[in-house]
Amino acid sequence: MLISVNTFWTILLIVHGLLAIALLGALTHQAMAVLMPVRQTAGGFVTRFRAVPAAGYATAICVLWILTFLMGAWIYTKYRIYVRIPIEQAGYWKTQGFFELKEHAATLGLGLLPIYWYVWKNAHDPEYDGVRKSVTALLAFICWFNFLVGHVLNNVRGFGS
Amino acid sequence: MNTTIATPSTSKSPPRAKAATSSLAASAKFRTFAVVFGIAVPVMYLLCEWFNLPLFTYHPATNRIEFWWAPARSGEGPTMYWYGWTVLSLLVGSAVGLLATMLPDSVARKIPLALVWLLPILALIPLAYSLMPFWTK
Repeated sequence: MLISVNTFWTILLIVHGLLAIALLGALTHQAMAVLMPVRQTAGGFVTRFRAVPAAGYATAICVLWILTFLMGAWIYTKYRIYVRIPIEQAGYWKTQGFFELKEHAATLGLGLLPIYWYVWKNAHDPEYDGVRKSVTALLAFICWFNFLVGHVLNNVRGFGS
Repeated sequence: MNTTIATPSTSKSPPRAKAATSSLAASAKFRTFAVVFGIAVPVMYLLCEWFNLPLFTYHPATNRIEFWWAPARSGEGPTMYWYGWTVLSLLVGSAVGLLATMLPDSVARKIPLALVWLLPILALIPLAYSLMPFWTK
């Protein structure tokens, strides 16, 4: 083997984290753009942050969500034994509870992707303005929640442990 | 597929994207599928989790997969049901979504769009409640 088993899973964890960061950035830009659309020429940092061509992010966000999900699902096989059991032995029950909620939220987000993609590809249609805002905001919330829970779990027992 | 929003203008209304040009984005049947899939998946996932109905059970320590629900085996570590819940929810969501595409467009358009974001939020409440042992230990 070129690399050790530990290194292999650590690389997967880092790739999962990097995909999550890309997804987080894209979704945050898009959520800001749709919830607080820019009506005047961009000025400061926050205005420029909101002034992205949000519809162009939709396909990339769907692909990133699926890739991040698949990587997370792959790592989860090892997490169940090498991370969850020590976390429970250490008594970090709430931390583990939040992880369980993270996995539920990730699946619920997956179910939103087709309609999310559809309403963004029909961004010209005012019929979908409300659902586009709500679905994007919900996906952004789930992404932030999952990212923060994953980050905390990595601190509790992740890289190098 | 070119649906990018134009550069911010000085007009009062926000800039609009161009009309969908991809066949999928312009398809009424895909719209129906997406709406019904978005409704069916959270409902099915909640049922799967609440009643513990995985399509399969995964035993991570031995890499064994068993159809439907299976208990943990002595000396073989824990079991994982999340994969089975997720796959079953996606399969049922896809099947119901595909069936819904057979509905007349006039009927399909009566399905409230708000359900696609409201149901996942509502599903999170019982899902979080089911984790009570973790919150109260």
